[in-house]
Amino acid sequence: MAEYSIDCKGEACPVPLLNTERKLDELDKGDTLIVTVDHTCAIKNIPEWSRLHGHNVETIEIGTGVWAIVIVK
Amino acid sequence: MTAAISAGVKASRSITNPFARLGQHDLYKKLLKEPLTYVTGAVLLAILQISSFAVLGKGWGVTSAFTNWGAWIYQAFGGDPASWAYFASEKGQKTISGGFLQDGGSIEDIGVVVGALIAILLASQFRIRGISDKRQLIGAILGGLFMGYGARMAQGCNIGALFTGISALSLSGWVFFIFLFLGAIIGGKILSTWLVRK
Repeated sequence: MAEYSIDCKGEACPVPLLNTERKLDELDKGDTLIVTVDHTCAIKNIPEWSRLHGHNVETIEIGTGVWAIVIVK
Repeated sequence: MTAAISAGVKASRSITNPFARLGQHDLYKKLLKEPLTYVTGAVLLAILQISSFAVLGKGWGVTSAFTNWGAWIYQAFGGDPASWAYFASEKGQKTISGGFLQDGGSIEDIGVVVGALIAILLASQFRIRGISDKRQLIGAILGGLFMGYGARMAQGCNIGALFTGISALSLSGWVFFIFLFLGAIIGGKILSTWLVRK
């Protein structure tokens, strides 16, 4: 049940999603990944992709135009 | 664990300011903060496309106006874009002599930028993003040049050539679509090999 995080601030779509996909590959079931993004389309496509692959996901606005997407594998 | 984080974030936001309270309203959030669904977006695009056609009498396009901007800038520096084959038609001559305020497409493009700015400010998500690394910078410059060149060669971008083309039942829109798709595959490969951090 380890916790990992990646910082995708400043990256435009679809780079945050691709980074998330790669990082999640390395994680074990039950691990948590926190992805920080500042690109609005990432808060749509990352949760969508995560749900499609059966992960629990929640998006939290942590600042002006900055979000933390919390994914539990 | 996720619930704990969101509870903490909610508690840390003081809701005393009336504007902040408006921002917390469910309807405000739904309409102005959260992304629209693809279907809502598509319906809005269709309505605006029809409106644009009705007002300007020509299909919606984005990049042709940029060509005009370039020509006007060149003209301002003493160049003669009116002699170019691209602007040889009567309509082209009129565009060059008419200037910015007579060109509906240019006004629409400004509207897109201003509208996007208003939307992001209303959602209080405005943010100036830096450049993350050199590869992103080079990718953006090269990508912009290729897209601009391609859009002129194809007589339109994904709006003028694809969206307007297909909605006008033109075969060229579908041909554009096939090559857009091929380009996206190549672009995706370049992106995932060069631009994504390992």
